[in-house]
Amino acid sequence: MSEQKRRNTSSVILREVAESSLDPATGTQDDREETGQSEPLQIQMNWFLRAFSNERWQFISIPLLSILVSLIAISIMLGIMGSNPFNVFITFLQGAGWIMRPVYAGGYGQLSDLSNTLTAFTPMLFAALAVTIAFRGGLFNIGISGQMLISGFLASVIVGYSGLSAFVAKPLVLLIGMAAGAAVGGLIGFLKYRFNINEVVASIMLNYILQYAVSYFIKIHFLDQISRQSRVVSQASMLVLSDTKVGGVYVSIPLCFILALLVAVALQFFLKKTRLGYEIKAVGANRRAAQYSGIRVRRTILVTMMLSGALAGLAGVSYYLGYFNSIEPGALTSLGFDSIATALLGNAHPLGAIASSFLITTLDTGGTYMQSMMGVRQEIAQLVTGMILLFSACSAFFRWRIALSRQKAEMRAREAAASGGPGGCGPEVEVSVQGGDVQ
Amino acid sequence: MSAVNTIIIDGLALALPLLVIAIGGIFSERSGIINLALEGLLGFGAFCGALFAYSCVAFHWFAPDSLAPMYLSFIVAAAGGALFAVIHAMLCVKFRANQVISGVVINILSVAMTGFLTSQINKTVFSGPSSRFDLMTAPRLTVPVLSKIPVLGAVFTRFYPFEVLILILLVVFWFILYRTRFGIHVRAAGDNPQALDAAGIEVSRVRFVAVLISGALAGIGGMCFAYSIFSYFSGAIYLGYGYLAIAALIFGNWKIMPTFAACLLFGFAQSGASQLVLLLKVNSSVGDLAMIVPYALTLILLAFFSKHNRAPRSLGEIYDKSKR
Repeated sequence: MSEQKRRNTSSVILREVAESSLDPATGTQDDREETGQSEPLQIQMNWFLRAFSNERWQFISIPLLSILVSLIAISIMLGIMGSNPFNVFITFLQGAGWIMRPVYAGGYGQLSDLSNTLTAFTPMLFAALAVTIAFRGGLFNIGISGQMLISGFLASVIVGYSGLSAFVAKPLVLLIGMAAGAAVGGLIGFLKYRFNINEVVASIMLNYILQYAVSYFIKIHFLDQISRQSRVVSQASMLVLSDTKVGGVYVSIPLCFILALLVAVALQFFLKKTRLGYEIKAVGANRRAAQYSGIRVRRTILVTMMLSGALAGLAGVSYYLGYFNSIEPGALTSLGFDSIATALLGNAHPLGAIASSFLITTLDTGGTYMQSMMGVRQEIAQLVTGMILLFSACSAFFRWRIALSRQKAEMRAREAAASGGPGGCGPEVEVSVQGGDVQ
Repeated sequence: MSAVNTIIIDGLALALPLLVIAIGGIFSERSGIINLALEGLLGFGAFCGALFAYSCVAFHWFAPDSLAPMYLSFIVAAAGGALFAVIHAMLCVKFRANQVISGVVINILSVAMTGFLTSQINKTVFSGPSSRFDLMTAPRLTVPVLSKIPVLGAVFTRFYPFEVLILILLVVFWFILYRTRFGIHVRAAGDNPQALDAAGIEVSRVRFVAVLISGALAGIGGMCFAYSIFSYFSGAIYLGYGYLAIAALIFGNWKIMPTFAACLLFGFAQSGASQLVLLLKVNSSVGDLAMIVPYALTLILLAFFSKHNRAPRSLGEIYDKSKR
């Protein structure tokens, strides 16, 4: 019975294969007859497989698939809760400044929202790049938050509270941020290199140590008694030009936005085209193989962590001296942990991180407006992020399944072709398949 | 009460919940699954338990001063943690996800979900704008005679009921891991899954169960924090104790008793430091400096002990039958 069934399906597939060879897009029947068996097999795949089995596009198609699936899941949830999911997503975009809101308060416009989003985007991208490079090197930098805090703190203390002019202060802030971050990252790398301390544990411990140490110094020396935060840094040292009037609306111009994009491109170049970048990737892919090929693994680990720390430092200064202008004592920013998610969503790829940072910050900054308009708690933004990540964590599975289905389809086609012999149109194929069954 | 007594009492109250989370982590990691998700699992478990206990009070399921909701909430928390761990297990065992990624994803998802659900449930079910479930603080018990022993008596003084539960779990899970067939399977799944497979045991099933155990134990640990340091459930529960438990278990070389020692060290360092600040009568900001002590101490000790640390051999690897 099942034998019969299989025979039928195989003949159907083969007929379709034969027909598809008549398709002008895949070449004429004559071509096929001339080349005979050496012609690449015509594989029968459904639309889904066809869309996602192209490996060259999987880096983008699979994240898009996970975003789509999670948006559908969230839409269903929103629908059950009684809000129109479409409107919710629109208000997210409006709140983040990608689409015009219907009404604006005086002095504010779409540009204000957009500049806010870009201001939040800048530290997120830096932090995501910090995670990305560590990840490519086979390391997991979970201490981004701590590295951000110490670099933001040192930059505030050294430059932010000094009277330096803007032209000196702003580059100095960036340098101090990078140096402080690289020092902490380097320490984690050193502890791993010298004492074999797992970098995850060392990062977690350093996160706490830095959090409490910075909190102590702020409370003793730099506390603003009213806001219970550190004193506000000088305008000259800020990496954002806040409350600037552009075209009649207030905007805050993130000065590091372009720098962040450039760093992402540079990092991509670094990983792809330079020797050190190659070594980092080699160590990340297989530590032992890298060692046998003559790469100094421990030194590479140290360098990777320093680079990651430096990027986290940039995130720190563009966060504490940009997105904010003071530091809350005793708290680590959740951005350091969210950036791990952002980097993973971007496939641990520097350019992917740009796209995912845009997505995540849009959800973050648009959330407040969405909540005020739709009455849906803004925590849903995080939930959307979580869902997207959940599905993109399965991307290895998707890839594996798609490859498997593709293999099966190929095998079926090959089987059919083998039993059918070369060439021929519909009826002939029917006959030859039946002949094949007799064997 | 003397300072030493307080150090012991507070230290145990921190160390034991940390231990139960770490034991869960040991099960997961000994079976070969990296579990960075402990933080999220303990939060979700505590959320489930707190929701249950809160509803008990709100809907008068039990007598007003009954302790039954508290004890039952630990069971609910364990179930909730295990339920959430199913995601980690599915992702890591079945969906071949990167285990580190999966752990991070679960932490983020847990923070988002519990935050969203807490305020949503408060709004719709309990008609309050609160973003937390208020609980009581667990009662403290003292054993009459034993508590009179000098110094050591502190162990029997003013302890939380869940500390006893955790000590029982410690013995039970130590026995399971080192003295039962299932324990051997778990350890083999992490060290040599091919051998386990050759012996006719399904590796993926062992790993799945181990991850569920880690979820249940993390849920219990989270509930302990909700009933001791917080006396409510809110987003504040994600204080990083899950990560600390991971640090403890790596410090303890993925073995239960050394991990117990690591947790004790950590708890006592923490309570000792805060007692020191009290005794010296210095500015409370110095308390922050004292809080560094346990973490710095751990880092320094790790520098001495990490040389011989050995992770389970196939930790983090997706089990592939065809690989040798």
